[in-house]
Amino acid sequence: MTNYFKTPLTRRQCLGLLAKAGSSSAILGAAGIFGLTNIPLNASPVTLKPLQGKHRKVLILGAGISGLTAAYELERAGYSCTILEASHRIGGRVLTLRHGDFIDELGTPQICPFDDAPNLYFNAGAARIPAHHTGILHYCRTLGVELQLFSNHNKNCYTQDDAAFNGQPVRIREYEADMRGFIGELLAKSATAGSTLDQAFNEQDLDKFIQFARAYGDLDANLTYRGTDRAGYAAGGVTSPAILKQPRSLPDLLRSDFCTGAMHFAEIADQAPALMTPSGGMDSIVKAFLRQLTTPVHLHCQVSNIQLLPQGVAITYLKQGESYTEQADYCLNCIPAQLVSGIESNLPADYVAIMRQLGRGKLTKIGLQAKQRFWEQEDIYSGISWTKQDITQIWYPHHDAFKAKGILLGAYSWEPQISDRFAAMTHQQRLATAIAQGTKVHANYGQYIENGVSVCWQRMNHMLGCGAVWTEELQKTGFELLQAPAGNHYLIGDQLSMHPGWQEGAVRSAWHALADIEQRETLRTGARA
Amino acid sequence: MNKIWLVFMLLSSTALADSKQPDARYCLVCHGSAAQGNVAIKAPNLAILPDWYLRQQFIAFRNNWRGNAADDAHGKEMQAVANTMNDAEIDQAIAFIRRRAPVKLPISVNTTADIQHGRQLYQQCQACHGANGEGNAQLHAPPLAGQHNWYLVQQLSAFKNGWRGNQSDDSYGQIMRQFAQSLANDQAIADVVAYIDSLPPTQPLVRTTQ
Repeated sequence: MTNYFKTPLTRRQCLGLLAKAGSSSAILGAAGIFGLTNIPLNASPVTLKPLQGKHRKVLILGAGISGLTAAYELERAGYSCTILEASHRIGGRVLTLRHGDFIDELGTPQICPFDDAPNLYFNAGAARIPAHHTGILHYCRTLGVELQLFSNHNKNCYTQDDAAFNGQPVRIREYEADMRGFIGELLAKSATAGSTLDQAFNEQDLDKFIQFARAYGDLDANLTYRGTDRAGYAAGGVTSPAILKQPRSLPDLLRSDFCTGAMHFAEIADQAPALMTPSGGMDSIVKAFLRQLTTPVHLHCQVSNIQLLPQGVAITYLKQGESYTEQADYCLNCIPAQLVSGIESNLPADYVAIMRQLGRGKLTKIGLQAKQRFWEQEDIYSGISWTKQDITQIWYPHHDAFKAKGILLGAYSWEPQISDRFAAMTHQQRLATAIAQGTKVHANYGQYIENGVSVCWQRMNHMLGCGAVWTEELQKTGFELLQAPAGNHYLIGDQLSMHPGWQEGAVRSAWHALADIEQRETLRTGARA
Repeated sequence: MNKIWLVFMLLSSTALADSKQPDARYCLVCHGSAAQGNVAIKAPNLAILPDWYLRQQFIAFRNNWRGNAADDAHGKEMQAVANTMNDAEIDQAIAFIRRRAPVKLPISVNTTADIQHGRQLYQQCQACHGANGEGNAQLHAPPLAGQHNWYLVQQLSAFKNGWRGNQSDDSYGQIMRQFAQSLANDQAIADVVAYIDSLPPTQPLVRTTQ
């Protein structure tokens, strides 16, 4: 880090700082995909021309969001589709767990022990939708999926780090208020000492900048930070005079890693407010697709052979020990690439070679049923608490305030090493770990927790990963090749998007393949005419 | 008492019926559609392994002889599955794998390995694993010919670094570990595996009921 705060700040330096803070080219690139930049990119889903009497058969492998999207669009244009799904359920990594649901994790099978109540559900996979994910929101709108606001950032939640504040949890509100106070003070004071600038602000700029720094940090008239009601009151404030909390010292704040990471989580393009999520669970989207679809979805069909034919594709699959083969004009394949790699096929060697280099996303989520909504006693309604322990996060339900019970997210880790540690545990050990670590955020946490579920996505049957892991190099050399069809076979899913792990990636990847099919169909018709 | 009844009710629900998949289809998720192995999952070729060896390895995982090391994520995956299976289910899984029709695997040649050096190193292997890497049931030594080279490298490294063959009651593993430790470095492992890769295809497996 350069010493921005020791020397006066010039406009150039200021712009440099801003670029580092929020608008690096990488972030711009990510934002552009979804139209966050000033070029509007309205969701205009691929509209397939009706087949008008022609017969086209499409086999869709996998009943996740990309497969359902493809089936929905294709059948509306008159294509006859069949979805083959290997697992016991529809939805893929859109997995909302409720009372009695079977969790098919290799080695750790579970049945969801939550009470049978509509508000007691856990989104173990996809959980939130940013407003610029216009593809998935298009289907929410057209299929009538009711949405609620979802909160990633709640100032009343906690941050906990063993290295800071004696390991005691601190309200995010307090931490951020103090941190901003110090930053504001440093900015304001360094800006006023304006000598030897290589290109100084003019007076108006300077004045405005100091006003900004003052507002940013809530400084007093002397541009000094002396605490703020943004951190909440130590006492009083309603019917008696407010007493402010004493600010924590900057060195103390810096001992916590919150300021270098999680504090900025909700600045990430896909994590920034306002976020949404379907009422009653993310699988409302899956149910909405199923209300419309006439395409059959066959469960327990495990693909064992993919053969490209001169004019189509032949798929062999196992169902209850019997082998079946079906032919189709096209195959849209949403099977995770790491599993396609193990399926016998005549797919081109360079195509399969890329699949073999993709990493398996390792990600763990734990859901806990609490017999009392104790977080509401601590003024928490929705949002995320952060800890440096393996559980990383605690989420509080954004819905059903004041009900008797609630489902917490008790752990969410996406660091591969952490997820490996959870995977190596028995289910009971995972719950015990989640409770022990959660106790550092909420005293007596354990006494409220009745039961729970744990999902290590790298162990989930028929998936063995959550979100393909592309290295930057592989993305450069392999993405386009894998995105292009091999014969009449298309590999799709969020794995073939720049946003693996997001439903938007799944929708857009399906649209991409459908646009290509549309083009080929137009050419076929044109050739005949 | 109520709790026991509740557990019984849950176990007999349709949800649990889903967990007991007929014909052990779990195997093929990781090990490939014909149990031919899958490099993306680091899952070995099971089709070339005889029944007795498959059974022995299920036991090795259940006994914590394999999958014990904290950073052996792949071993732990298999161990988690083996721990959920009883003897009858293991027999069922092996029978299921035997019913898969074999598939031809592409040959991948390691051009940086010294096959002649590998042949010399293999002399100490052949006493147990056979001159053609066909294995030896009496000595509990599995066939090597036809196994993926990346898996052989991975397992020789695992024996060398103590992920396998490191437990006092795993006598066969301990023997193998001594031999693996005699391989000086990664190049030696690559050389001997390249030689095993060059061995002609073995005879069709002799099925034993051992």
